[in-house]
Amino acid sequence: MISTLEEKPHVPAVPRKRKVPGWAVAMLGVAGAIVLLSITSYQTGFPQLTSSGTTQTAVRLALPILLAGLGGLWAERAGVVNIGLEGMMIMGTWGAAWAGYQWGPWAALVAAVVFGSLGGLLHAIATVTFGVNHIVSGVAINLLGAGLTKYLSTLIFLPLSNNPRQSPPVQSFDTFSVAGLGDWLGELEAGQRLFISDVAGILRGLVTGVSPLTMIAILLLPLSYYLLWRTRFGLRLRSVGENPHAADSLGVKVYFHKYVAVIVSGGLAGLGGAALVLNPGQLSYLEGQTGGRGYIGLAAMIFGNWRPGGLLGGAALFGYADGLQLRSGGETVLALVYGVVILLGVIVVWQLIRRRWFSAAAAIVVAVLLYLLYISLDEIPGEFVSYAPHMVTLAVLAVASQRLRMPAADGVVYRRG
Amino acid sequence: MSSSTSARTDDPPAVVLTGITKRFPGVVANSDVHLTVRRGEVHALCGENGAGKSTLMKILYGMQAPDEGTIEVNGEQVRFRTPSDAIKAGIGMVHQHFMLADNLTVQENVVLGAEALHGIGQKARRRIIELSGRTGLNVDPGVLVEQLGVADRQRVEILKVLYRGAKVIILDEPTAVLVPQEVNELFDTVRGMQEQGYTFLFISHKLDEVRAIADSVTVIRRGTTVGSADPRTVSSRQLAEMMVGSELPSPETRESTVTDKVVLDVKGVRLLTPDGARPILEDVDLVVRSGEVVGIAGVEGNGQTELVETIMGMRKAGSGTISLLGRDLTKLGTLARREAGIGYVPEDRHRHGLLLTQPLWYNRILGHQTRRPAAKGIWLDTDGAKKDTERIVADFDVRTPGIDVPAAALSGGNQQKLVVGRELSGDPVLLIASHPTRGVDVGAQALIWDEIKRARAAGLAVLLISADLDELIGLSDTIKVMLRGRLVADADPNTVTPEDLGSAMTGAGSTSAAVHETVAVEEGEN
Repeated sequence: MISTLEEKPHVPAVPRKRKVPGWAVAMLGVAGAIVLLSITSYQTGFPQLTSSGTTQTAVRLALPILLAGLGGLWAERAGVVNIGLEGMMIMGTWGAAWAGYQWGPWAALVAAVVFGSLGGLLHAIATVTFGVNHIVSGVAINLLGAGLTKYLSTLIFLPLSNNPRQSPPVQSFDTFSVAGLGDWLGELEAGQRLFISDVAGILRGLVTGVSPLTMIAILLLPLSYYLLWRTRFGLRLRSVGENPHAADSLGVKVYFHKYVAVIVSGGLAGLGGAALVLNPGQLSYLEGQTGGRGYIGLAAMIFGNWRPGGLLGGAALFGYADGLQLRSGGETVLALVYGVVILLGVIVVWQLIRRRWFSAAAAIVVAVLLYLLYISLDEIPGEFVSYAPHMVTLAVLAVASQRLRMPAADGVVYRRG
Repeated sequence: MSSSTSARTDDPPAVVLTGITKRFPGVVANSDVHLTVRRGEVHALCGENGAGKSTLMKILYGMQAPDEGTIEVNGEQVRFRTPSDAIKAGIGMVHQHFMLADNLTVQENVVLGAEALHGIGQKARRRIIELSGRTGLNVDPGVLVEQLGVADRQRVEILKVLYRGAKVIILDEPTAVLVPQEVNELFDTVRGMQEQGYTFLFISHKLDEVRAIADSVTVIRRGTTVGSADPRTVSSRQLAEMMVGSELPSPETRESTVTDKVVLDVKGVRLLTPDGARPILEDVDLVVRSGEVVGIAGVEGNGQTELVETIMGMRKAGSGTISLLGRDLTKLGTLARREAGIGYVPEDRHRHGLLLTQPLWYNRILGHQTRRPAAKGIWLDTDGAKKDTERIVADFDVRTPGIDVPAAALSGGNQQKLVVGRELSGDPVLLIASHPTRGVDVGAQALIWDEIKRARAAGLAVLLISADLDELIGLSDTIKVMLRGRLVADADPNTVTPEDLGSAMTGAGSTSAAVHETVAVEEGEN
């Protein structure tokens, strides 16, 4: 699933004339990631790395990140930096809980989208109409989201749940699994054969306990791609993020497209909040529930180079890191370190082939350090493990950010005339 | 030079502007402008920077509405509210600064805003390929614009206009970004399209180009049209005088004001490339005296920039000394050197001279932040700075609605006048002027020359670096030729010709008695 991390060796240094189509690179990346994980789990003796349970948790945890990232994608493609995703997500969680305990999960979804969109609308008014710095407005919305929901929770949830920090339980979606396939995959997984069991475990995790929200989120990804890259509306929206002056000179309504993009962005972030509230493990609003996932979503989008495919890879990576630490704890996260060492080995070979001595040397040093860490520790301390997703975010962005290409007018306040 | 006129006189003119007036707060950009463009001709609109050409074209293209006056297209009076109205009337504009999104493909850039014509898919692609031939663009529509060179980007801009069905094409300073060969290619394209019936409005202040391409010329000065001319009979000098409204200035200085007092003394300065591999400056000795203008000639990239930056303290010399009025400056920083009395007109005013987003008075403080009138003790004196900015605006004829507008709102010539005014404030003893009139219009050029001459007569020492050899010969008392980091020859500005200087600059050796070599040029060195 950590497809995009594996992409690095496959993309040539100058990605101008890419001979291999994007989907093929992605498939190679996915295959490479599965091979890497299965070797790691075989070598370290932790089948949890590719178990169906881990995958299932990873999917659930990746959903909010994916949706937040998708929200970021919409806004930033239109040239508005949306650091307020976190705040819009918080508003989404509250809205989902408020509607969810009264009218069920579908109402929760709708309310989450509406609340998130309101946050987006506020951001659009501030940044587009009044030309407020995008970061300032975004941070303000994060503070506002946290403060407003705290107030509303005390007002509305306290009498019901006797807890100002938590909502009454929300009814969950019925989940469904692909009946025959799941059992068959389960047998394969239990067989503990190299690679086959790993693939079976991951597939089983993907087809078991699927909620409608998962389906919606997965469908929103190609839908966003189609809208943004294959329609007239999308072309205009992206042109606004690349060069608003040019777009304006050609009769494109710059403000309108920015507004739509940021409102949709808020709606998607809100939906991400609903994904947290409707998570089977939780099923209620909790203060501080988002835990920075809006920011991680933004990071996933940046990691994915402002493209939906890359964003999916980023969300999967962060979801997986999160899921692994939640389900299995420090020992398995340590096993993942072993996997990273193998990956670095591949990178070293690749860099040597391309005669990039410095990069190769750097990769060797990091690999040796990580390997020493791996053999000297029995497990990663618990305090550290819960920060695994954040650590992964930092590491990945530090490495990946060199080749990224953001929309040219991203974060630039546009004034007509 | 110009191609034969294919305009038919019996048709109504393609565009007629009558009595156009446009006011902005503080300035009148256009007043009572009259312009007639016949169908099928290349009509040039000439004027200095800031004369109001761009505003006029924005009005014709619907980006701004005129306060008074009428626009007629093909004999019918029209009223444009937005550029799309103008596009519908068959008018297209190629902006001076390209209006392209680099990260989108050629096709996306072309169809943007005109998706209704052929969609955004295969049909549009076929139409683009069909039209590409007319502009000489030979790239796949799926290529990202960022991969194209400047000339091809301009073709994409023309393509955008054609795709929308424009018949009248406004080219706003189209050659400003092109190298001479590309200019010729552009002119070939324009002539080819003219034969297919397109009409061009060509905006420029490069008069040779105007005479090469235009069928008729209209001159605009200080916001109003002052007349028209036939490019086949008018000379560039006559056109220039129409643009400026008076006789052309010349950089010529009359009598020598050179004194014996040494102001700048550079001795044995050496400078290595940052990696230490190769010398950029080698044993440069240079003396500038009070009342003297020392000009440095050289092909760009031979160390002139580095020499200036070393004197200013922006680079640290490897060895050698720099002294000003006998005081050793070698170990001082840039600010201390400026305080010691050096004024500096940098070669790139946008990178080193100005903060474009800041108001004029704020820019006045830069480099003077420790001195009166911009500072009092440790505090900035904004009132003093503003008052002094008013003085510069008045004395140096900086055309601006006020001192609170950002520097970016001024035209290049007016920005440069502000920079020169600032650098001549605070009684400097030495002025270093790098390409002081590069990219400015004739009027600003004359003013800057006059100010340098006046300061020289008052005893200022000037180190002048310029690629404009006429300017260099006209202003300088002494000319030194720089080649590969050395001052290789001296030339006498009274007798030297630009051709002589040119051959000395390329290292071809001295061809005239006016240039005498001071250092033997080693051949074959790279």
